[in-house]
Amino acid sequence: MKGYAWAIGATAACTAAGLAMEGRFDPVNIAMVYLLAVVIVALRFTRGPAVLASLLSVATFDLVFVPPAGAFGVDDAQYLLTFAIMLAVGLVISGLVESVRRRAREQSKLELEAETERMRSALLASISHDLRTPLAVMAGASSTLATKGESLSAGERVQLASSIYGQAREMSEQVAKVLEMTRLETGALRVERDWESLGELAGAVLRRLAERMAGHRIVLDLPAALPLVRVDATLIEHVLANLLENVARHTPRDTLVQLRAKWTASEVLVSVEDYGPGLAPADLERVFGKFEHGGPEGARRGVGLGLAICRAIVALHGGRIWAEAVPGGGLALRFTLPLEAPPALPQEQPA
Amino acid sequence: MTTILVVEDEPEIRRFLRSSLGAEGYRVVESPNARRGALDAGMHKPDLAIVDLALPDRDGRELIRELRQWSAMPIVVLSARAQERSKIDALDAGADDYITKPFGVGELLARVRVALRHAAQPPSGEPIVLGSVSVDLEKRLVTRGGEEVRLTPIEFRLLACLARHRGRVATHKQLLTEVWGPPYAKQTHYLRIYVKQLRDKLEDDPEQPKYLLTETGVGYRLVDD
Repeated sequence: MKGYAWAIGATAACTAAGLAMEGRFDPVNIAMVYLLAVVIVALRFTRGPAVLASLLSVATFDLVFVPPAGAFGVDDAQYLLTFAIMLAVGLVISGLVESVRRRAREQSKLELEAETERMRSALLASISHDLRTPLAVMAGASSTLATKGESLSAGERVQLASSIYGQAREMSEQVAKVLEMTRLETGALRVERDWESLGELAGAVLRRLAERMAGHRIVLDLPAALPLVRVDATLIEHVLANLLENVARHTPRDTLVQLRAKWTASEVLVSVEDYGPGLAPADLERVFGKFEHGGPEGARRGVGLGLAICRAIVALHGGRIWAEAVPGGGLALRFTLPLEAPPALPQEQPA
Repeated sequence: MTTILVVEDEPEIRRFLRSSLGAEGYRVVESPNARRGALDAGMHKPDLAIVDLALPDRDGRELIRELRQWSAMPIVVLSARAQERSKIDALDAGADDYITKPFGVGELLARVRVALRHAAQPPSGEPIVLGSVSVDLEKRLVTRGGEEVRLTPIEFRLLACLARHRGRVATHKQLLTEVWGPPYAKQTHYLRIYVKQLRDKLEDDPEQPKYLLTETGVGYRLVDD
């Protein structure tokens, strides 16, 4: 509908311009102005408005600028040619535009399919590499226990069983990450927002990761007055956990890690800074990709989804996440969360 | 002998639960679905039930509600990671605690022991010990290293409510309704403020608490020594 309105508007504008030109320019030049209108309508809209624009153009041109004014005359047959040319120009251009648009649509669809395909093969490669190893350990250790358990010492049995348990835990973490990424990407994840304290979430994460982070020195720097944020606690806890696990994975033992937060009027900024080996500048953006392991092939552990999940979760909350180098070596992973007007607080006399 | 009812449809999960609970000295009754679970609960009068939330015939939450109509036995829920909501519903419906699959047996046995202990002993008058802090609910007296800690009436009510659920999870909704009243069931930010105040008064390191623990997205758990 917009296109047809445009066709009428453009013809009217040309008539106004033509009236201003009349007397100083030949009618042929005025016809050119109408042609321009047809071209513009054909470029912007579909075939229908272009045909309407050519028709209206020839009719108004004939009525207004070809004598006798106000009527179709005997000589007007020659303007059938003008009309035919305008119509042809309109059709050719709208046809061209249409086919370009179609091709662009097909192209982006193809690109999307290719991207999905790339994802799928990366996922398969990742699963086969990162999940097969623990599976092999589990199959081997458990079958040893089942068939040779009696001839093993109690110590050996416990060792085999613990290694099965350890691998199963690790694998379950990785599978959970793949599922979480899928749920984030397909929009199947419900975000349940509530007022949360980042300090509390950080404390809960450190407690949960205590074993895995035992080799690192963690310093908390969270101001006591840090405002509450309206977020999905489980998801933001995952972000904090993934950021810390990322540090545990890629820095040597005893590395100092600082978890800090500060805030402005509109957002909170949370940072996980380590004083480990850091990253090449070129990799600072890449680490948030899917199935990225950051580091040499041999060092890879896990499916490489941790930071991609963080990015998706932070984006869902309307924040940003990025990596930057810490002066003096080391890596800072930072994310922001928007601040909302704080809720009314309960009133009570102090003790 | 302590009897534990296991309502779980996966035979392999029942198998290792049977072994580990059996090795711990418990008698185990197994039900593969909710209908059988309800029958077995009536027939065997177990001391505790372990209920899987995803049962083939009925929702585990319904079973919990049904059991709660006539039984006060502790109920521990088995939930999958993606079942955040139904886990909270189960706790609000009267389950005492939860454990997320996959879990280690050590973790499960610890939950079971805590749940059984609190069911067996109705609140004694004994003060609760949290490190150097001692909480005497009857005398409404909280001390830290012998010195009295002054709590506001709401801080005390919150601490008392957590203490009643000691060792187990108290959901946000349970705490808010019990401390502030039903109209406040969704004012989670009240909890954030008061939990912080309590931690500042009771914990050695309020940022990394040892006694008043956050169960992210679910509620809080008070763990005593």
